[in-house]
This record gives sequence, C-alpha cells and structure tokens, in this order.
Amino acid sequence: MMSKIVRTQANFLYPFILIFGFYIVAHGHLTPGGGFQGGAVIATGIALVIVAYGYDRVKSWIKKSTLTATESIGLLCFILTAFIGLSTSFFYNFLANSGLLFGDKVSYGANPGYLNTAGTLPIMNLAVGVEVLGGLGVILMYMLSYGKEVSK
Amino acid sequence: MILDIIHILVLIGLIATAYLAVKLRDLMACAVMLGIFSFLLSLEFFILQAPDVAIAEAGIGAGLTTAIFVMAIRKTSRWEVEE
Amino acid sequence: MRNILMLIVFLTIISFFMYVAINPGDFNSQTGEHFVFGSPKFTDMDNYFIHNAQNQTGANNVVTSIVFDYRGFDTLGEASVLFTAVLGVGLALRLLRGDKK
Repeated sequence: MMSKIVRTQANFLYPFILIFGFYIVAHGHLTPGGGFQGGAVIATGIALVIVAYGYDRVKSWIKKSTLTATESIGLLCFILTAFIGLSTSFFYNFLANSGLLFGDKVSYGANPGYLNTAGTLPIMNLAVGVEVLGGLGVILMYMLSYGKEVSK
Repeated sequence: MILDIIHILVLIGLIATAYLAVKLRDLMACAVMLGIFSFLLSLEFFILQAPDVAIAEAGIGAGLTTAIFVMAIRKTSRWEVEE
Repeated sequence: MRNILMLIVFLTIISFFMYVAINPGDFNSQTGEHFVFGSPKFTDMDNYFIHNAQNQTGANNVVTSIVFDYRGFDTLGEASVLFTAVLGVGLALRLLRGDKK
C-alpha cells in the first residue's frame, strides 16, 4: 500500500483509463488500435490500482480465478468465431456485407466510418481484448502475490 | 522543420534515458527511466506514422512493465550492490 | 583502449540512426511524398489490401482487417503465446511459493 497521494490519484484516474481502453477495443475497426492494444491499456488501469493498494486489499476485489476464467473465455470466443466460418474457410468473415449484425457496407475511400460494419472483426476485437486483459491481469496478480514486501 | 527538431530531441532523449537506465544505482530510478524510454519510443513510433504500435508500446512498455518492475523492486532490494 | 573502441562503435551506430532519421529518403512521384525509410520495392500486396480491404471486410481500419481477417492465424498464434506465458508465470511462481494445493 502506497501513500495517500498515490491512492487518491489512482481512485480518480482508473475509470478514465478503463473507458479509454474499452473505447480502443470497441472502435478497433475504425481507429488505430484493436483488441491487443485496448486490453493492454485496461490492464494498465488494473496495474495502477494494484500498485496503489497492496495485495491484501486487492485480493478481495479482484479474484485470480475470475481473471483466469476471463482469459479462457476470450480465447475460446476467438477460436469459436473463427470456426463458425469454416464452411468457406477458417477465419472467413461471414458477417461482412450481409446486412445482419455488424453487416453494413462501407463506402470506398477515406471516411470516418460507422460502428455497425466490419462483420466478425468487432467480435474478435472484443474477444482478444478480454483475453489480453485477463492474461496480463493474472500475470500482475501472480507477481504481486509472491513474496513479502521488504524494501524501504 | 519543427517536426525535425522534435524528432532529434526525441532521439537524444532515447539515448540519454537508455544510458541513465544502465548507469544509475537506484533501481527505482532505473525503472522510471525505462518507463520514460518506452514513452519516448512510442512518441517516435507516432512520428513515424505507426499509431498502432505506438498505442501498444505506451500501454505495455510505459505502463505494465514499469508496474511489474516497481512490484519486483518493492519485494527485493532497492539498491544495486557490487558483487 | 576498450572504452575508446566501444565509444567509436557507439558513435558509428548513433550517427547511422541519426542519418537515417533525418534523411528525406526517396521521392515518390505518384503521391508526391517523401518516405523516410525509402519507398518499398514490391507494392502488389500493399495495393491489393489498400484497394480491396474496405469492400471485402467492411472495415475502415485496414490494419485491423489484415490482423484479424487476412492474417488471422498470426493473431491466433499471438493469443496462444500470451496464454502460454500466463501458464508459465503461474506455474513458476506457484512452485517457488511451495503451495501443495
């Protein structure tokens, strides 16, 4: 557990970091970024909370088993989305330009774009974002749970 | 012209922070120097028009590895000792 | 002697990077832009992606459409690498801590 200044600014800052990370994940098919980058930004927000408060306080808020389950679910969703298009080929984008969910057409050239496009790409972005968030969070929790704080 | 000046300043900052990260004896200061190094590297990627890599570098390099280094230093010794 | 040699190597590498970064590079007559690291020699694949990615996948971000659609196996490998890294960290730290559970 660090000083009160660090804890106060962590309390103030981490919702904004989470919102920014989910924005990067959700707009992965329109703006720079994507699942991996957004998940890393969300994991940075978790790391801020973990460093500001010690392991003893954090372990009741964030469970390691929950993060592990999150990571596994993300990876499974990614592989399942890839398997659904197997009638044509693995990783076939079966939703693109179909008019269904995320199925609108996009005009050629440089334009700001629309969120309801790009077929399976937003689903895969979300799956990879959740997977990276869970994986990096588990790594941080394991690093924190090992050993005792000795340094001054 | 102004972009060139920023570019050169970023490169000089990269070299300076990398040198300080090797030379300093306080490991916490070394971790902070590596964080600044990653931040300047993400700025460099952004100047070279690769915003994807810049976001990844800023998130992982400047955020996560610095946090992991801080955790590891708090659980071992803070000062580098001569062998 | 060794320090002087290391200094010479260091200065050579730094001056090379500085030259590459400041050098305006080749001039592309089609778009009228300077490429910092030279213009690419083979552009067939780039042109295919740039002209067809928006129609085929419907994504405005061509980089994401390459990463998740055209080159999906790369992303699958990357996700597996992260999963394996988490597995390794958990296994190593649990062994070091000596949990018998």
